[in-house]
Amino acid sequence: MDNAAPILDVNNLTVEYRVKTKGQRGVRIARAVDGVSLKIRPGETLAVVGESGSGKTSIANAIMRLIEPTSGSIMLDGKELTELAGKELRLARSKFQMIFQDPFESLDPRRTVLDTILESLIVAGIGADDAEKRKLALEALAKVGLIPAENVGARYTYQLSGGQRQRVAIAAAMILKPHLLVADEPVSMLDVSLRAGILRLMRELSSELQIATLFITHDLSLAWMYADRIAVVYSGRIVEEGHPVDVISLPQHPYTQALVSVIPVPEKDIARNRIILSGEIPNPLEIPSGCRFSPRCPKYRSLGQPELCISSDPTLESIGDHFVACHFPEKKETK
Amino acid sequence: MNLLEVKNLSVQYGSKQGGVLAVDGVDLSVGVGEFVGLAGESGCGKTTLAMAIPNLLPKYASITAGTIEFEGQELSNKSEGELNEVRWRDISVIFQGALNALNPVATIGNQIAEPILIHVPGTSHDDAITRAKELLEAVGISASRSSSYSHEFSGGMRQRVMIAMALACRPKLVIADEPITALDVMTQAQILELLRSLSETFNLSMLLISHDLSVLAETCDRVQIMYAGKVAEVGTAEDVFGKHNSAHPYTQRLLKSYPNINQERKFIDGIPGYPPDLSKPHMGCRFAERCDVAISKCSTDEPVLTSISALHSCACHLVGGS
Repeated sequence: MDNAAPILDVNNLTVEYRVKTKGQRGVRIARAVDGVSLKIRPGETLAVVGESGSGKTSIANAIMRLIEPTSGSIMLDGKELTELAGKELRLARSKFQMIFQDPFESLDPRRTVLDTILESLIVAGIGADDAEKRKLALEALAKVGLIPAENVGARYTYQLSGGQRQRVAIAAAMILKPHLLVADEPVSMLDVSLRAGILRLMRELSSELQIATLFITHDLSLAWMYADRIAVVYSGRIVEEGHPVDVISLPQHPYTQALVSVIPVPEKDIARNRIILSGEIPNPLEIPSGCRFSPRCPKYRSLGQPELCISSDPTLESIGDHFVACHFPEKKETK
Repeated sequence: MNLLEVKNLSVQYGSKQGGVLAVDGVDLSVGVGEFVGLAGESGCGKTTLAMAIPNLLPKYASITAGTIEFEGQELSNKSEGELNEVRWRDISVIFQGALNALNPVATIGNQIAEPILIHVPGTSHDDAITRAKELLEAVGISASRSSSYSHEFSGGMRQRVMIAMALACRPKLVIADEPITALDVMTQAQILELLRSLSETFNLSMLLISHDLSVLAETCDRVQIMYAGKVAEVGTAEDVFGKHNSAHPYTQRLLKSYPNINQERKFIDGIPGYPPDLSKPHMGCRFAERCDVAISKCSTDEPVLTSISALHSCACHLVGGS
C-alpha cells in the first residue's frame, strides 16, 4: 500500500479570503490555509484534526474545489484539479464524494430514500435504464444495512433516524465508486452507541473499493482509532503529522501535547497532567509572526522565550516517519 | 439532608391516552457542593428530568407523579409565581445551545444584570452592572468587555457569559444542560476547569447534563446513567467509570463505544440496534433488545434499581441479589 501512487497529492495549498472591514480602507487578507501538503494512497485514511477555525474544513473544501484555492497544486489520480473548469471539473467531481456532518440537513426531506440514491446515479450517468438504476440503488441500500431495502427506499429521509440518514448519505456517496472520500465529522452528530456502526461501514467500503479517505474531525481520539495517519492543523498549517500511535503516544509539537492531554477518557482512576492552553486560535487576519503557536505555547515560555520562535516560522521537518513544525520538538530535546 | 431530592418522578409528553412517558419513576439527588452528572443518549429523558426541577418543561409536558424537594420545600406543586422566586435565586440553568442563546442587540453587561434586576428586588442598575462586571472577571473575561455584544465573542467566551449569567443571583444549584457540546476540546477543558473552580469558590452544587460520558468521568462526584426514561445505573464516578466497576451492561457497552487512548488501539464496539420507541407499550428491561447478556427474564420482567453498595445502584437482573 505504501508504494502505490497516491490518489490525492496536495502541495503547498493556500487559501486566502479577502476581507473588507467596515470603517477601514482597502481589503485585508485572511489566510485560512497556509501552505498545506498532504498525500493519501488507495485504501488509506488521513485524519485532519483541528479545532474550529484551524482551517481543516477550508482544506477539505479547497480540495473539492468548493472554494477556490489561492495557490498550490491538487492532484487527483495524477490530474491537476486546480486547472479544471466547467464540464471537466464536473466529470472529475464524480471521482470524489463527500459525507457531511449533519445528516438532518444534508438530505432533501422531500425525496424518498430511493430517489436520493437514484439522483446520484442520474447525475453521474450510471445505469443503462431505470430498471437497472433501481436495482443498483436497492443493492446500495442493502449494502449499508438499510434493509429491507424496498421498504426503507420508499420512506422519506425525514422519517429516518440520524444513524439511518448517515447510512443513506454513505450509500449515495459510495454507489459512484469514488476514488476519494471526504468525510467531514461524519459521526459527531450521532449518539455514541451508533458511531461504531457507521465508522465500520465506512472502513469496510473504503477498503473494498480502495478509496482514499480524508477524515476531517476535531476529535483526536476518534482520529487515533480510525485513521492510518493523523495531521494536526493549527491556524491553517499542519503542525504535526504521523502514525496515530506515534502522534498520541509521543506527540512532538507542544500544541499536540496539550490537545492529547485534554482528550476526555471514559475512566476515572487515571492521573493525568492536563495542559490547558489559555486563549484561542489566532484570527486568520492576524497570524502571529514566527511560530504562530508561540503566543500560547507553554514550551516557548518554559524555555525562556527563545528569539527563534518569534523570528522564524518553523517548517514541517521529519523525525523518521513523524513530522513536526516546531523549533524545539520533544525528541530533539531528549536526545 | 440533600439540597435536591427528586423521588419517583414521571414526566409525560402529550395526552394521557397517546402520550410518551419520557421520564418514568426516576429518583435523583444532589448534595450541597456536589457535582452530579446526568448522562445518556438522545431521548433518554435526561434533559426532561432536569428541566422538570425548576418546571421549565414545555406546555405539552406534565409531571404525572413524584416529588421534587429543594431544601425541604416541594417544588412540583408550586405556582408559576412561586417558582419565579426559586428560579435564578436558588436554581439557575445554563441552557443547551448557549452559543445562540444570547441577545444580539443587548450588551453583555446588561444581559448579566437583567436577572439581578428582576429577581433581586431593590438592586439599582449601577449595582447590577457592577455585579455583572465582577461575574465577568470570575469567569475569566475582562470587566472592560461588559459593553461588548455577543457577536464580538467566540463560542467559548459566550459560554463563559452564560455561566456568569447563571451565577448572577448567587444560586445554590446550577443545572448545566450540555454546557460544552459544540465547543472545541481545548475550550471544553477550559470551561470544565472553570465550572469546577467556581463550584468550589461559591460552594455551588451542580447538575451537569451530557451525552458524553467521558467528559463526566473527569468532572463529577457522582454520575447517573439513564436509558429510555429510566435510571440504568447511579454511583460515584469511581463506581461507574473505575476499571471493571460499572455494573449495568448498557454502561459497560457505552464506555466501550468511546476510543480510549489509555488502552490498546482498537476499533470501538458500539451498541447494535436503536433505543425503544417509548410511545409503544413495552415489557421487561428496556435495554434487553440491544443487550448481549440478556436472559429470558429480561424480556418479561422490568428490573428495579437495586443497591450494590452504599452509593452504587443498578437496574439489571444480572447484577446484585436477584
